[in-house]
Amino acid sequence: MTYKRTNLEIKDKIAYVGFGYKSTKSMTSLDIETMEELASIVEDIHTKSSELVGVIFFSHVPNCFLAGADINLISSLVTEAEAADKSEQGQNIYNRIEDLSIPTIACVDGVCLGGGLELSLACNIILASNSPKTSLGLPEVKLGIIPGFGGTYRLPRKIGLPNALDMILTGKTLRADKARKIGLVTEVFPSENLLSQAPKFFNKKESHHTLKESIKELATENFVTRKIIFQKVRESVLKKTNGFYQAPLKILDVMDTGMMKGRTSYLAGEAQAFGELAISEQSKNLQHIFFMSESVKKYSGAKSTKALPVLDRGAALGAGTMGGGIAWLMADVSMHPIMKDLTVEALNLGLKQSSQNFSGALKRKKISPDEFERRQRSITAQLDYSGFKKVDLVIEAVVENMDIKKKVFSETEKFVSRNCLLTSNTSSLSVEEMSKALEFPDRFAGLHFFNPVHLMPLVEIIVHSKVAPETVEALYKWVLRVKKTPVVVKDGPGFLVNRILMPYLNEAGFLLEEGVSVKDIDTAALNFGMPMGPCRLLDEVGIDVAVKVAKVMYEGLGERAHPSKFSSLLADKKFLGKKSAKGFYLYDEKGKVTGPNLEVEELLPSTKKKMSETDIQMRLFLPMINEAAAILKDGIVGKAEEVDLGLIFGIGFPPFRGGLLRYADSEGLDKILAALKNFSETVSSDRYKASTYLEDLVAQKMTFYEKAK
Amino acid sequence: MSMKDVYIVDGKRTPQAKSGLDLKDVQAPYLGAYLVKHLIDNTEIPTDMVDEVIFGNTGTPAKYPNVGRVIALEAGLDKKTSGYSVHRNCASGMEAVSQAYLKIASGRSDIIVAGGVESMSQMPLMYNKEMTELFAKLMKAKTIGEKLSAMSSFRPNYLTPIVAIEQGLTDPFCGLNMGQTAELLARELKITREMQDTYANNSHMKAVAATKEGRFKDEILPITIGGSLNKLLTEDVGPRGNSTVEGLGKMKPYFDKKSGTVTVGNSCPITDGGSALLFVSEDALKKYNLKPMAKLTDYHFHGLEPERMGMGPLLAMDGVMKRTGLGLADFDLFELNEAFAAQILAVSIGLKDKDVAAKFKVDRAWGELDWSKVNVNGGGIALGHPVGSTGSRLIVTLMHELRRRKGKYGLASLCIGGGQGGAVVIENLVR
Repeated sequence: MTYKRTNLEIKDKIAYVGFGYKSTKSMTSLDIETMEELASIVEDIHTKSSELVGVIFFSHVPNCFLAGADINLISSLVTEAEAADKSEQGQNIYNRIEDLSIPTIACVDGVCLGGGLELSLACNIILASNSPKTSLGLPEVKLGIIPGFGGTYRLPRKIGLPNALDMILTGKTLRADKARKIGLVTEVFPSENLLSQAPKFFNKKESHHTLKESIKELATENFVTRKIIFQKVRESVLKKTNGFYQAPLKILDVMDTGMMKGRTSYLAGEAQAFGELAISEQSKNLQHIFFMSESVKKYSGAKSTKALPVLDRGAALGAGTMGGGIAWLMADVSMHPIMKDLTVEALNLGLKQSSQNFSGALKRKKISPDEFERRQRSITAQLDYSGFKKVDLVIEAVVENMDIKKKVFSETEKFVSRNCLLTSNTSSLSVEEMSKALEFPDRFAGLHFFNPVHLMPLVEIIVHSKVAPETVEALYKWVLRVKKTPVVVKDGPGFLVNRILMPYLNEAGFLLEEGVSVKDIDTAALNFGMPMGPCRLLDEVGIDVAVKVAKVMYEGLGERAHPSKFSSLLADKKFLGKKSAKGFYLYDEKGKVTGPNLEVEELLPSTKKKMSETDIQMRLFLPMINEAAAILKDGIVGKAEEVDLGLIFGIGFPPFRGGLLRYADSEGLDKILAALKNFSETVSSDRYKASTYLEDLVAQKMTFYEKAK
Repeated sequence: MSMKDVYIVDGKRTPQAKSGLDLKDVQAPYLGAYLVKHLIDNTEIPTDMVDEVIFGNTGTPAKYPNVGRVIALEAGLDKKTSGYSVHRNCASGMEAVSQAYLKIASGRSDIIVAGGVESMSQMPLMYNKEMTELFAKLMKAKTIGEKLSAMSSFRPNYLTPIVAIEQGLTDPFCGLNMGQTAELLARELKITREMQDTYANNSHMKAVAATKEGRFKDEILPITIGGSLNKLLTEDVGPRGNSTVEGLGKMKPYFDKKSGTVTVGNSCPITDGGSALLFVSEDALKKYNLKPMAKLTDYHFHGLEPERMGMGPLLAMDGVMKRTGLGLADFDLFELNEAFAAQILAVSIGLKDKDVAAKFKVDRAWGELDWSKVNVNGGGIALGHPVGSTGSRLIVTLMHELRRRKGKYGLASLCIGGGQGGAVVIENLVR
């Protein structure tokens, strides 16, 4: 037999099944050919089983056992029946592995996810390598689906219900040592020794449970406690997802109702649920985000002919919350950053920020105390420019003032080498204008992080007329290196994300002026799936900052960005939001909301207006879609998916909706345009004036995604 | 063999803090690594072109047996960089410097960072011999009976710890504590309590003034401190502006409680700190376009009877002056460590008094020390004495002050527990 993807080799009465046979890819996945070959290999082993002592599954590809089912395969599924059938096919093969009369071992070295882990679970024993690349998990829920190859059936039987629910519902992955601790993996070896050690486990009986484990098992493996566990978990899932996500609830249904079922009938339920979820709009949206995030990992901009600058050492100018966060980020990837500010007090603030971020990692045991010390100490906090000669990347995060920033850049340029890239973390100032301060503007660009740096995944790379392609490409790759999501945007008021966010925040102000309550506005936004309502978000951003940014937008975009007066009213009262413990809401010392700020009531009109939730949502999201159309028209970004990625990773636009423009496309652009026109007559002809880009799309009967590819 | 010139590009030190205070959580390597990183980053020398990193350290933390190599790595230097640690008690930092000097002068190396670190706060308490033996027995015991029998030999006094720092400050040869050696010199040379207290008070006044006027700004590199490493320490913790001779006079003698004159107040405190200097050859100067601050002219180490170790600088200075052909008047500045007020006063007597000098086999009197040129920014009594670092710290301070004064020659010297003295001569090149 000739093997293409998976091979079988019999040596010393042991059947070795190797994935990624003759593969040139860095990842092995369960595509159709692999599955077919696997099925016939398993049947082959069944016929030879009397002459064999055991089976070992492994991968020929370094650092990857099996990355799961081919996601292109999942995304190509159209009907429920087709999807359920695919699931059943996989289940059948894995059942045949489970039913082998000889011992089976999965030797996991590297990535082992989804269908890969489900296959391992069908084996008697899982052995893993201690390589840092080794990770095991069932991430299906993140794509809005249920593990469909028997994972939800076998995992609880292997590691107990509570641990299994945790893994399946969060989609988290485990390192080998952790997997061993919870009993998923039987033993861990260095990669090089994994296969040679495996045969020793053929005759090993599962070790006897310790007393502690037996008690735990007794406590969780009975009907009543299992029911209680399911109920509690369901409550917490609802709390975490606000009920927006179907997959976790569906998974719970399958596992709960399947509790007392046998294998065949349980798996039928799993396959059916897989069928329903895999073709759901929500899952398609989440798959869409997955594909977008994958495509972002490749730089698609203008390629440079010159060698890219190497960005080994970093410096942050300004040691505020952002500067400290940026220094932390650089320290975390061993860039030994310098953090410069004007006073020791300011430097202490920056050190506090980075220390907090590292402490978080320390508490979550992501780093050891020694690593904490090393990384935090790798930040040099200083008042002068000493050592800047060695710096490759400077990120400026001083006060948002053009003159000061220009001064800082022309000064900094004297102390750095010619190859050093200089960037500004400005959120609203013109990068084109700023570039004029530099002697060599080709090495300069905007590099806009979102606050807080350690939590927000998006980074806008803002280009200008004189930037060199190697600067942009090097920055793009650097952003990926620090595990953030880059989006390259052209200069313009608010760049990409803040410009689309502007109407969200601004329109809230107008709604308030009309008499709609803070609570109604924020609730409507939350019920749409936003992580924060506009009023709460204004508090987070800082109301004075928002006023400043709104002014910049107004100057740049004209009447459609006319700021509501409401934010200035609050700013005048010194209600600046979270940082002053008082904004639309009140905050305690830890920054937690303690309740509404009743003093805001006095600023609101006395006549209240009740508006339907849908109307409030339309008022907030329509102008965002409209502004996104204007952004595509202006060429700030070229693709609809860049807008969507930006909003999902920049402001937490609800992922299950697939993005702002995907949402607009699914609603129908003709409907969107009609609603805009309606508001332009009833609310404001400036703010709801439809973008010509949108009008053209409707006239051409095209969607955003068809037009801006 | 003809010796090449050895240049000092720059030198920095940590702020120094009495042990148990601001620097108590900083482990020894971190008192040096950031200094090394700064020294190299501030030049065009690539991180893979440093030949060697040499650090003096006496405490030798159990976790870092070779602190010099750890410093090289933590400083972000290339992993190929050779690194080691040296120990010559109080002169460990100076020993590191002397080795850097020899290696560059002989043409073997071009770029070396040398210095010293000491975390006296983190020196351990150790189990005594009895307890250690009990542990050994327990380890060997196989049966429960053997284990029980081993454990039953336990007595409460087994838990009396050995204080590493106390043991380290007691001479193993003559059995005297360092403070007792100072008492001996004070008695023999008739150095009164008042002379010592006045000297100590002056040290504080000078150090406080230097801090206030920002004279340490060039040599101190702020260090990140605190349990969560979130603040900077920028100045020394130790010099007391409110010190008075009267106040010092009220303190009880510590080492000879009945009739002694040496108190905690007129001795140097136990301190944490680090210091480092960047040494290069002429070739490296040219290659990396470096501007040297000073030249290391020569050095000398000398031994004497351990019970009079405080007189070490007399012999070391005598040696280095003879080597260089320079006399006391040729020096614009001296940095002489103040281990004890009595000790440095004794050295000054030995320099001018031929008979005293002769007792120490020094064949001449060198003359009167010009006190206006000695420890002008205060000394060990106010700033403290982080044992492994002081030898190089003195040179850092000397170099910066010499530059400020546009002077030419400077001399750094210190006494060494165990009965030795060390001295280094530098020439300021920024005039």
